[in-house]
Amino acid sequence: MILTWRAFALAGVLTVAVLVAPTAATVIVATAVLVLACVVDVALAASPRDAVLEREVVPAAVRLGGTARSVLTLRNGSPRALRGVVRDAWVPSAGAGDNRHPLALPPGEAVRLTTGLAPTRRGDRAAGAVTIRSLGPLRLAGRQASLPVRGRLRVLPEFASRKHLPSRLARLRELDGRATVQVRGEGTEFDSLREYVIGDDVRSIDWRATARRGDVVVRTWRPERDRRVVVVLDTSRTSAARVGDQPRLDAGIDAGLLLAALASHAGDRVDVLAYDRAVRARVRGASGTRLLPALAEALATVEPELVEADWPGLVGQVRSLVSQRALVVLVTTLDPAAVETGLLPVVGPLAARHQVLVASVADPELDALRADRDSSADVYDAAAAERVGLERAAVAGILRRRGADVVEAGPDELAPRVADAYLALKAAGRL
Amino acid sequence: MTLTDPFPATDTPPHRPGGSGPVRGDGTTTRTRARRRWRAMRWVVGLVLLGAFVTLLLALLRPPSSDTPYAPDAAGPDGGRAVAQILGRHGVHVTYTRSAERAASLARAGTTLAVLPGDTYGDDLSDADLDLLAGTDADLALVGPSDASLAALAPELTWGWGGGYVTTSTASCADPDARAAGTITSAGGGFLPSGPAADRVVTTCFPPDAAEARTGSYAVVDGTRRVAVLDDAVILTNAHLAEAGNAALVLRMLGRHADLVWLVPEADRGADASDGTGASALLPPGSGAVAAWLLVVAVVAIVWRGRRLGPLVAEDLPVVVRASEATRGRGRLYRAGGSRGHAAAGLRAATAARLAARLGVPAGATPEALVDAVVRATGRPAPDVHGLLYGPPPPDDAALLTLARHLDDLESEVRP
Repeated sequence: MILTWRAFALAGVLTVAVLVAPTAATVIVATAVLVLACVVDVALAASPRDAVLEREVVPAAVRLGGTARSVLTLRNGSPRALRGVVRDAWVPSAGAGDNRHPLALPPGEAVRLTTGLAPTRRGDRAAGAVTIRSLGPLRLAGRQASLPVRGRLRVLPEFASRKHLPSRLARLRELDGRATVQVRGEGTEFDSLREYVIGDDVRSIDWRATARRGDVVVRTWRPERDRRVVVVLDTSRTSAARVGDQPRLDAGIDAGLLLAALASHAGDRVDVLAYDRAVRARVRGASGTRLLPALAEALATVEPELVEADWPGLVGQVRSLVSQRALVVLVTTLDPAAVETGLLPVVGPLAARHQVLVASVADPELDALRADRDSSADVYDAAAAERVGLERAAVAGILRRRGADVVEAGPDELAPRVADAYLALKAAGRL
Repeated sequence: MTLTDPFPATDTPPHRPGGSGPVRGDGTTTRTRARRRWRAMRWVVGLVLLGAFVTLLLALLRPPSSDTPYAPDAAGPDGGRAVAQILGRHGVHVTYTRSAERAASLARAGTTLAVLPGDTYGDDLSDADLDLLAGTDADLALVGPSDASLAALAPELTWGWGGGYVTTSTASCADPDARAAGTITSAGGGFLPSGPAADRVVTTCFPPDAAEARTGSYAVVDGTRRVAVLDDAVILTNAHLAEAGNAALVLRMLGRHADLVWLVPEADRGADASDGTGASALLPPGSGAVAAWLLVVAVVAIVWRGRRLGPLVAEDLPVVVRASEATRGRGRLYRAGGSRGHAAAGLRAATAARLAARLGVPAGATPEALVDAVVRATGRPAPDVHGLLYGPPPPDDAALLTLARHLDDLESEVRP
């Protein structure tokens, strides 16, 4: 049972009567009038549990930063008119705007109520209960019920680094073009033969073909295609730390998406794995236009787990995913303690079989700490930040000595830097 | 926006909260909801009922007792329940009151009116109260009277000069009550007869140590009525009743008649309370009704504002602690431990590593090689550079700050 401001106003009007004749009898009569009016109003209100509800989210999945709508269809199944308010509740991070809708519905009729959603966080955003407050004909009092209705909005990763994709694709095409002027190197593959034009590298002249044709013929080369790229996202406890205003994992997902988009344009096959002690998400075999939607869908619900990563298990997963040589990108962080006990023992064997790139999300706040010289307290913090930087650099040095490439950058910089590292490896034919 | 009915009115979709499609209600009825509420609340209700029952039981089983000193129903060390119960067992009917008017109305001839000290010493009875008491016909027993009570009710007596510490004194008079008691303990000052006619009617007894002659802790004035006065009320308390002959004297003093009015004046009675009405007399008529109605209005307002439109929706939030917290904690540890050596070593090592990278000095090079390279790049004197990069730890925080700034300067000079 609920009361409205009208019930309070009625009590205020009755106060005048009590003030005019301040006796016990007046108080009893006034209380009786108030209670009777409210009870009758409640009795005449439509039952909120007779409403038939259906919730639909349009679209069902939206990229972080986009908007969606929650459409609630409400049919009044009671024999009385339903008037009052309905609230379409969502979790706070779903960003539901004005979710309270006034109701005035004759028996048997239905209404469609739209609530705007502007989610602020990746993942599945769940809907709460639908609360119906049904008022009586006097609108003094009414009934209220909160009814569970299914609803879910899937918020896909933002992929903020997609703005870097065109420039990297242009560099990829330059790589192609460079091959036509005969940059010949290890790992590039034979494409075709054509006639010599002035400017071509004389070292690429195919003498046997020249002898056959009686004309000078050169070989052309193009970058390798159909290489395997495996992106591994570390979802263990180190990925839960907050860098900037999002968890470290979100920056890693961004880098993985950019690399996958670039590699699939370059003709390589991309597999993505999210792992801590168990597989949290896996995308394999998707290519072309299907790759990015599949990745976004799979990575949307990946959350950091507060467990220590199982690196030997991860290596086993990579082995089961690819058998030939591949580029394995480990998106993690160079936390010295975690790396020493986890990643270091396995990176050597992994680097022997595959090209390993360790992408680490750095904390830009450490740079700010490092430069701070305002007071002696700040200098202690700066010294601690320098110490951490040295330790991370030392760990990166050890990883490089064991054969892995290391890219370390802040959350906004990591994705383009990983893409550049990939392009550099491709240009050098090291895939 | 109102639509045409998408479902036939007769069709009632089943309740499927987990599935898709339309949902009707939440699968509960009035009865199941009432049962669920009762299940959730029954422990609370049970505990409240149990508490109420235990409170009631304690209230019924506990003998009536008060904390008022000298009251006949007070069982504490400073109460008077022992005397009252012994008197009651010997057939004396004790009427306890805290109001002087009531005591005066009860105190007819042939009763004993005992006046005991109130909570505040000295002015527990107003002048009007004392006039009322002085006008009664009952025999008086004043125990530990205040100056005002003594002057009004036993004008034949004044205070003596003894007392201040507890003395045991022996009966030194012919009064039968005093003879029966033999000895009493008292810390009071004793009484002296005063005025020309006093000697004939006043008997004093139990002189305190080293007091003036004819001083007595106990005095009897046999005038138109008998007034017995005792200088120290502690004598009749539960704690001290059994000492010496206290009990005999007090019981004989209070038990002369079959009816005893026991007055412990109310301590907090103001002068204006004598008109017999409380603060409610100052309010206009009907304020009780208005107050009751305002309570009803308050309940309406509480229900109106108190019920929210559905429950809050909970969600798991990501970690809110920043990754840099660990580094800041390390900085705080350096600071708390005063580890200027560690802090300076960290700053110097980081600067040295950056300078080495910029100048092309290999990572494993000796300090001298790095210093040489820096001296060539900056033109600074070699001992200066060596002191900056490999000098002793700074002695205090100011030196650490200076060192950090000098390292910054050195680095800025080696920009490639």
